[in-house]
Amino acid sequence: MVGVDDSNKSPRFSGNPSKKGQEIVGNGQKDEVLFSPGFRSVAAMAGWDEEALLIASLIVEDTPDRQFKQKKRSDLHSLKTPPTNSRRKRRAQRRSPASIPVAVLNLDEDEPKPKQESEKVSREEKTSLEVEKGRGDEEVNAKSNGVSSSSPAIPCLDRLREELSCAICLEVCYEPSTTSCGHSFCKSCLRSAADRCGKKCPKCRQLISNGRYCTVNTVLWNTIQLLFPQEVEARKAADSAPESREAKGGVPSRTRSHNTRNRAVEALNNSPESDNGSVAERRRNHHRIRSQSLRVPSGTSSRGEVTRTELPGQDRDAALALRLQREEFMEAFTEPDERRRNSLATARANLRAMASRAINIRISRGRRD
Amino acid sequence: MNSSSSSMMMMPAGGSGGRGGGGRSWPSTTSVSSSGKRIQKEMSELSSDPPPDCSAGPKGDNLYHWVATLFGPPGTPYEGGIFFLDITFPSDYPFKPPKVVFRTRIYHCNVDSAGDVSLDILKDGWSPALTISKVLVALRSIFTNPDAYKPRVPGIGHLYLADRAKHDELAAEWTLRFAR
Repeated sequence: MVGVDDSNKSPRFSGNPSKKGQEIVGNGQKDEVLFSPGFRSVAAMAGWDEEALLIASLIVEDTPDRQFKQKKRSDLHSLKTPPTNSRRKRRAQRRSPASIPVAVLNLDEDEPKPKQESEKVSREEKTSLEVEKGRGDEEVNAKSNGVSSSSPAIPCLDRLREELSCAICLEVCYEPSTTSCGHSFCKSCLRSAADRCGKKCPKCRQLISNGRYCTVNTVLWNTIQLLFPQEVEARKAADSAPESREAKGGVPSRTRSHNTRNRAVEALNNSPESDNGSVAERRRNHHRIRSQSLRVPSGTSSRGEVTRTELPGQDRDAALALRLQREEFMEAFTEPDERRRNSLATARANLRAMASRAINIRISRGRRD
Repeated sequence: MNSSSSSMMMMPAGGSGGRGGGGRSWPSTTSVSSSGKRIQKEMSELSSDPPPDCSAGPKGDNLYHWVATLFGPPGTPYEGGIFFLDITFPSDYPFKPPKVVFRTRIYHCNVDSAGDVSLDILKDGWSPALTISKVLVALRSIFTNPDAYKPRVPGIGHLYLADRAKHDELAAEWTLRFAR
């Protein structure tokens, strides 16, 4: 091993090699996900210290969550080597081949205390990384369900849920309809309340003017869809079977409505990419469920299907408009993600190129020695 | 409470077919499940945030039959009494009011000897936006303010209006005898 010999020979490196090692170990555990150990040691040989690696990982892991990023940066600062007096010395440390894992571990055993410290830090980082991973998963889930419903960004979500829930079914309003007295209920709830309990507002008993109560309050409905996409989707899936029976007038076969429901559930469970095939079929089945396929990057086949569906009524028109709106919204959302993935790939490629260059340099230098 | 509520979660699904032998006719799957859902919601709400001096929950494994208890509010002749009520939900709840019956005998102008309550919101004044917890609050309020002008038992109503002290004395005696 050229590297070990090197470190033994040069007195410069014996300054505080353990510290260097510990950093790499801590850092290494942290970056496990991104960098293979071999790659890490190579990167270290290339003079990429932990800071550079961390920054690189920061670039590729760039999450939309600002706060978290900042926290990580501060971790990074606390991790930094206590400033050595000369820049050259630091550079030398970076070049130190002591970063070959075995040598590092040996050195660490001599000074257990700082290692514990570093372990603590790395564990902290690990947990925070897990948190981030969890958040990432959540993000993926959210993507498949429209917008995140349980996002921690809105602290008063429970209160909102209470406020936006229908007094009749006690769930989040589905297609809310607002009475002339200003109370909102699910359209279907309000309709059946008016049918069975008289045309009075269930909340304040004011008379409901005749045809008004079945128009959907679009602003409220859009807000609810954005805030509670999961509830809305679940309700959609649950409603689709009896709804389709109503909508088609005749009674469709039992199996068919069952299929519709199953597919809706599938759409909820599957990732958006995997259910590409059933999109067309689903669209034909029911316009309600169509809106679930909006997450599928508008495929060519599904585009064609839209024209094949029957002429939309006012209700369906509104649904279509909303769907398109959401489609746009989702596209705007997914784009940065792709860019991020690209940046991850390029960052990796860059690192690899750097590392291989470094190896070449080292090898040639070794030959010169 | 927790274990019973988890077993309750199965109710609406099993309600249509599982308990067919009861002789009760279920109107349709959808309406049962929607009323069942709402009752479940109310149940979880009641357990998390119950109104003062009240409790309510399903009697057995039937989501549509509940038992409620009311504590006689202090400062009334019903103080210290515990009153049990049966609540039966119709299958088209919440569009029809629940039936509330006092199981404990009570000397009250709005409750007859069979336990039937004359409460406006349980009859014509029902609104689907009302919940069991609101009904319980209303029942509690007739302990403190009996509606003697629309009595279920006219004799008690008359006495309440004519001789309040005598009425209170009798009510306290009944409470002592039946509700403890």
